[in-house]
Amino acid sequence: MIVTLLRRIGLSALTLLLASLLVFMATEVLPGDALEVSLTADELALMSEADLARKRQQLGLDRPAATRYVEWLGNAVRGDFGTTIIGKGQVTDIIREPVKNSLLLGAVAALVAIPVALLLGIAAAYWRGRWPDTLASMGAIIGYSIPEFASGNLLVLMFAIWLPLFPAVILAFADASPAALLAVSVLPVATVVFGSVAHLVQLVRTGLIEALASDFVERARFTGLPEMRLILRHALPAAIIPALNSAALYVAGLLSGIVVVEKVFAYPGLGMILIQAVDKREVAVVQAVSLLAAVAVVSMNLLADLAVIALDPRARSR
Amino acid sequence: MDQQDSRLDDPLRRKLLIGAGGAAALSLQELMWPGAADAATPKRGGKFVYTNTYPNNRIGDARTGRHPHHWLDLNNRSAYNALTWVDEKLEVQPELATAWEPSADMKVWDVTLREGVSFHDGREMTADDVVSSFKFHQTSTSYAKQITGVEKTGRLKVRMTLDSPNSEFPYILAEYHLMIMPAAAPDVIGLSGIGTGPFKIMELDPKRRIILARHDAYWRKGYPYLDTLEVVGSPGRMESALNGFRGNVFDAVLGVDPGLLPDLQRTPDLKYDLSTSGDQAVMVIPKHEGTPFNDKRVRQALALAIDREKIMRIVYGANAGWVGNDTHLTTANASFLPRPTKRDVAKAKALLAEAGHPKGITLPTFYFSATWPEIPRVFQVLAESVKEAGITLPIEQRPSDGYRQWRVEDAEKTRKHRFAYTPSGPRNPGVSLYRMRPDNNEAGYWSGPGCDEYMALYQQSLAERAPDKRRTLYVRMQHILQDEVPIISPVGRRNMLIHKPNVQGLRNHSQFWSIRFDEVWKS
Repeated sequence: MIVTLLRRIGLSALTLLLASLLVFMATEVLPGDALEVSLTADELALMSEADLARKRQQLGLDRPAATRYVEWLGNAVRGDFGTTIIGKGQVTDIIREPVKNSLLLGAVAALVAIPVALLLGIAAAYWRGRWPDTLASMGAIIGYSIPEFASGNLLVLMFAIWLPLFPAVILAFADASPAALLAVSVLPVATVVFGSVAHLVQLVRTGLIEALASDFVERARFTGLPEMRLILRHALPAAIIPALNSAALYVAGLLSGIVVVEKVFAYPGLGMILIQAVDKREVAVVQAVSLLAAVAVVSMNLLADLAVIALDPRARSR
Repeated sequence: MDQQDSRLDDPLRRKLLIGAGGAAALSLQELMWPGAADAATPKRGGKFVYTNTYPNNRIGDARTGRHPHHWLDLNNRSAYNALTWVDEKLEVQPELATAWEPSADMKVWDVTLREGVSFHDGREMTADDVVSSFKFHQTSTSYAKQITGVEKTGRLKVRMTLDSPNSEFPYILAEYHLMIMPAAAPDVIGLSGIGTGPFKIMELDPKRRIILARHDAYWRKGYPYLDTLEVVGSPGRMESALNGFRGNVFDAVLGVDPGLLPDLQRTPDLKYDLSTSGDQAVMVIPKHEGTPFNDKRVRQALALAIDREKIMRIVYGANAGWVGNDTHLTTANASFLPRPTKRDVAKAKALLAEAGHPKGITLPTFYFSATWPEIPRVFQVLAESVKEAGITLPIEQRPSDGYRQWRVEDAEKTRKHRFAYTPSGPRNPGVSLYRMRPDNNEAGYWSGPGCDEYMALYQQSLAERAPDKRRTLYVRMQHILQDEVPIISPVGRRNMLIHKPNVQGLRNHSQFWSIRFDEVWKS
């Protein structure tokens, strides 16, 4: 088991290294640089090519990409993501609060989505082929097919404009307290939940249908156990184990949904920072955010693997 | 050059005049339209929240985000002042300077500062602050590059020396970067966020939102009206900005796509304001070897073939844009000279035939990027309209990323420039006409006798003290550009803002970075 564990951790570290390299290369191949995007066309018209070259040199943009990557990676390992190019601000300072806010949004969305998905998935599997199943499956397809920017705007239209219950955009500062932020984030949370619950419902439903048809559940049913207890105590744990890796990917996938939702609602999270950093060619910020996202995905997968190993004796022997 | 600005300083006097001269009319108005009378009397207090969608490439980059060099340009004048201000007619007005006097050669400028201006921390502004601020600006922004020396000549007097004559130097002093900050060492100046502007910074999340409170000791007595000004940045997020406006989160949205006007006009409880002019779309025409544009007649034919009115009608719904005159000047400039001929397809065909293209011509591909949402539409209509004159104009949209670098190609090695679009902001003639200097790639490496005469006139205008004589020179320079056609500027946009009906005193500006919020109030 320890060997399995170490192998998984080693693979995760390698994945992160590759991800960091890809992120760095991706930001390098983008045309333009931080200097050019920080200047307006009017300002550029007043500058000569020599002026621009001098500025680039001052900002260190003329150094070879490989040198900058090695330096950045070395610092990142020590938790130092460097400074922004134009303002020389610490990247760690820039991303600290947004990281917390995105985690908050993701955690609350997951806390709402997972029980809802379990409930709907169980109902759909229990009443398979009947109206609760049809309703849950239809809802899942709709939720799955509507992109977050569309569902977000729809919710704004319904609950912020037609029925002014919640704010259409979030004005809270990035360092607002979690309670203050959550109080105005009903629509962003609802949008993330709406987009993500569909996938989970389908996972639970399929897994549960399979488990309910299995021999050990049939045997348990013959012992006279009440149907609900049968589902919750026997079928559901068996259904969840194979779904864990998919669920881990779903939680990691929340990140991409969150970026979109943050843009629609101006939520002060990592997505907004990423969009701004890409616009401004602030490579150090883009790299830090992307690396954190990669860490999140890899960690979730690792956790799911560990959970499977812990819950399923067959996995320990693999 | 003593400046009069009692108009700015005295709202009380204005109110008294309104009160005395229009008392009877006002009473009648109040009886008949009480709401309208309400809207005419400025009310003090309240909070005004606006968002702007203009791209902001710097905000929050400074260590504290409070530095004026790192603020979104149009926010600058809420917390800071410059020495001068450019008004809605693009005329220079006094701000922290009350007078300016050039030397005979227009290279040395003596500036008199306003008496009794206090910073947000209560300290009085003096020449030391101006000198210190400009020492910083000299090293940090291209707008102050021409200043070679700045020195204190009195408690409220400053002398600035330039590297060459500049008769329009007072306009430079109004640039949005050249704000006055409390004197400090160059590495820390401005980081406190303290200015002399109508509002002081209270809370700041540089990437998102700024909350400002009234500066009670503001030098424009009686202003500002608002207690609180709140600015929310929505760079490039038009949808989110409009959602916030419709959901009553924002009182106003600045930088609305003018192409949305027909849709927005159907929105209830919405008012809009269009500036006189705004940024324009310039077509840079390369004149290096091997291009058909070396022949002036081809350039003239293209300029004559473009249906500018059609672009206006289709893209800007007739009134949200303006027709360019093939120079960098805008309709808001007093010296703006409209093109003598609007559109003449027959003449365009004749010019092409004369140039050896009797059956028409296929031009090189024209490139553009969507700096503003309507730019692709502008060039689609433009390309379609020149077909009538036998001109085939292939167009291609390029990504905004690295567009400029790509546009100027390997400028240093081959001096090449693509046949491509560039945006241009509205400024005074001295700055705008300088953009056609031959060593600027935007001029497409223009040369020849016309160019030589243009530059000679430009140098003359910079050394000319009399504004009317300068204006004559500017007119001649525009004639040269319209004849030589080194660039084409078919159309420009008018900046658009939308606001709630109860917002008063919010005036749009051709230079969106020069909007003031001093006179805004809510009825």
